[in-house]
Amino acid sequence: MSEALAPEAHPEAAYPPKIQVRDLDFFYGGRHALKGINLDVPAHRTTAIIGPSGCGKSTLLRTLNRIFDLYPGQRATGQVMFEGRNLLSPEIMVTELRREIGMVFQKPTPFPLSIRDNVAFALRHFERLSRGELADRIEAALRQAALWDEVKDKLGASALGLSGGQQQRLSLARTLAVRPQVILLDEPTSALDPISTLKIEELLNNLVRDFTVVIVTHNLQQAARCSHQTVFMYEGELVEAGPTETLFTLPTQRRTADYISGRFG
Amino acid sequence: MSLLLLRRRLFDALVIALSLFATAFTLFWLAWILWTTISQGASALKPSLFTEMTPAPGAPGGLANALFGSVMVVAIGVILATPIGVLAAIYLAEYKRGTRVAGFIGFVNDILLSAPSIVIGLFIYELFVLPFGHFSGYAGGIALAMIMLPIVVRSSAVALELVPSETREAALALGLPRWKVTWSVIVRAARPGIITGLLLGVARISGETAPLLFTALNNQYWSANPATPLANIPVVIFQYAMSPYDDWHALAWAGAFLVMLFVLGLGLATRLIFRQGGGR
Amino acid sequence: MTDSPLSAPTARRRLARGSGGDRPFEAVVALAALTVLVVLTAAGVSMFLGGEPAFKAFGLKFFVSTDWDAVNKQFGALIPIYGTLVTAAISLLVGVPASFGIAFTLTETAPRWLRQPLMVAVELLASIPSIIYGMWGLFVFAPFMAAHVEPWLNDHFANTPLLSDLLTGPPIGIGMLTAGMILGVMIIPFISSVMWSVFTAVPAHLKESAVALGATRTEVMFKVILPYTRNAVVGAIFLGLGRALGETMAVTFVLGNAHDFAKSLLMPGNSIAAVIANEFTEADSDLYRSSLIALGFVLFIVTFLVLAAARLLLARLQRIEGAKV
Repeated sequence: MSEALAPEAHPEAAYPPKIQVRDLDFFYGGRHALKGINLDVPAHRTTAIIGPSGCGKSTLLRTLNRIFDLYPGQRATGQVMFEGRNLLSPEIMVTELRREIGMVFQKPTPFPLSIRDNVAFALRHFERLSRGELADRIEAALRQAALWDEVKDKLGASALGLSGGQQQRLSLARTLAVRPQVILLDEPTSALDPISTLKIEELLNNLVRDFTVVIVTHNLQQAARCSHQTVFMYEGELVEAGPTETLFTLPTQRRTADYISGRFG
Repeated sequence: MSLLLLRRRLFDALVIALSLFATAFTLFWLAWILWTTISQGASALKPSLFTEMTPAPGAPGGLANALFGSVMVVAIGVILATPIGVLAAIYLAEYKRGTRVAGFIGFVNDILLSAPSIVIGLFIYELFVLPFGHFSGYAGGIALAMIMLPIVVRSSAVALELVPSETREAALALGLPRWKVTWSVIVRAARPGIITGLLLGVARISGETAPLLFTALNNQYWSANPATPLANIPVVIFQYAMSPYDDWHALAWAGAFLVMLFVLGLGLATRLIFRQGGGR
Repeated sequence: MTDSPLSAPTARRRLARGSGGDRPFEAVVALAALTVLVVLTAAGVSMFLGGEPAFKAFGLKFFVSTDWDAVNKQFGALIPIYGTLVTAAISLLVGVPASFGIAFTLTETAPRWLRQPLMVAVELLASIPSIIYGMWGLFVFAPFMAAHVEPWLNDHFANTPLLSDLLTGPPIGIGMLTAGMILGVMIIPFISSVMWSVFTAVPAHLKESAVALGATRTEVMFKVILPYTRNAVVGAIFLGLGRALGETMAVTFVLGNAHDFAKSLLMPGNSIAAVIANEFTEADSDLYRSSLIALGFVLFIVTFLVLAAARLLLARLQRIEGAKV
């Protein structure tokens, strides 16, 4: 584990909560998928959410940017506080919210556009940029996603021609380009080969300087390698949350201990 | 026991043979119709088809005015049906997918898809010919648009539904508004399927005759004004084929050949585009 | 943060739609979808209104009278209605077995490499414009029927009870039998493609368990696949029937536009679509035109019911199996 990641080196107070989840419940139609979740997501830290499949970890993530709004049968109650406002309130403009809280998905999701336009698409919508500024922002985002060197000579080519790992980094670059405050990652490496996975993990370690990161993963090693805080969920409940090293070495809950020792899930 | 087995085997062989016969029977008709059209049409092909007007019986002539008129009425149909059809498909596939509203409109659309085209012709006659007091190319184009519309709706909706939900979510997660995501990402991703549907629709309406009989009617002369009756290939084929004159029959075959060539060519193009789009 | 970007400019805007442009866009696409409903409804209403004078003038007699007399302004629709039903029935007799045979061959017996070309060929049959079917019927198929098929029918069925009335007559080629056969070929692609796709949607384990019990391919088809897909197969046939009832150009050429009743299928007849196509532009009185529109209304209602039944039967299987129909 790299030095920068050692949680002990950073007292809690240095990282005030960016998002505070309070008494969050979530329903898929009649199914109660999240039950009374309470969680603080510290700013400029990486929070990993782990748990067996179906435990609600992705659902929790999808609540934070209200992407679930897309589906009429899904609803959330409780509070998700961000910058002093409850994100679940009907007064929130979801487009603005999602601009502040970006998301990268499990499968790479290149748009059927050129590599350049994949990154520029949202930028052009949000900001009036000159040609030069736009080019700079695209380059910066692609560099941040460690993709620039591989694509700088073919920015006009279709993004669909990139490899899976490259497409996933392009998805990340697209999200970084609009400069959100929080980045949500939903099992971002589960569809990738080990080398691409390693690249994405290296990226994550640099991102916390500028962003707050929440990552859902089924890979315990990944959670241990890349996060400062780890949250364990089970059957829609938040069982335990704490500094990553503590949670993995000295879990306070029996179910956490069973899970991280591989007894189920 | 073995007698029973023998009977079962024989019955099996009989059904398989009859099925093969049915297949061969169908292919035989296809070949027969294609062959007749090609041989009769090819022998009637000459450059004057494209330069001269439809003639009086016994006089030399071509199909120039009818070809041009056909292009016009089909173009009017496409221009009307494409935007309405694609937008309607967006509503069904993007905004109301899986709901009763979408189910009901889809159901009505499917009925419209196979509704008799002559009925559409009568309807447009009532709506656009009777009130204005004369036949017109516009009326013909509108009738064709109504035949093309359900084809575009159906194929575009299918194409939109095939776009992975991850793509939709990823674009929305950037904070883009729904309309922009739909229009710039989802529709673009579905483009091969949508274009396939458009080509299918054009192929279908370019041979349609019944809805033009009482809308665009016919015109012996050159007209580029869709507010007047327009000559068009299908109605010319109908009138000339039903006539007793041999030279008119030859022109009808030439027209049939051109229509068939166009329709089959579009079918081929559709297949190529679809393969490209599907092979991604 | 005082100017947080999260608050909407106007309070209480609805969430997912809360961004500029979304409402108008949704309204536009909803309007477009509405045109589909409007077209169908307006077509029905306008034809009912157009046919009303005829319905008023003749009442129920419109449906049971065989008089079709433009000079004396007497219009009864029985002959075209009868012709429509008879030609559609003949088309099903030709089209259904042939479609089943093709679907059976495609799903069960054809080698894999042959399936794609076969499907393309059947699709080709569907893409040929109906006016070409009609023209081909008039110039090629009707003479063929007159020269070969109809004399043979006259020779062989002259003394067969029941059938002798139907299948003997003057061998002129033009008539209900010819029209029905052409319709039969035309509907093959529509029926067979739906049959084929529902047959392939039958879960493999059902077929496999029957095969494991020693069933032949035919037995698998008749005892497993057909019972399992019965609704959809009936739906496919209804779909073909809907097409056959409303088809215009293919039959107009070869029916002969006769207004007299004939028992023989070899005699010229008429159909609703054909009489409209033949006479509408020549209709010289309002009542004449109204009678033709009334016929169109009848055709509209009948095909609507048939097609709606077809779609309902198909939709059920689609929901269960996810078959592409």
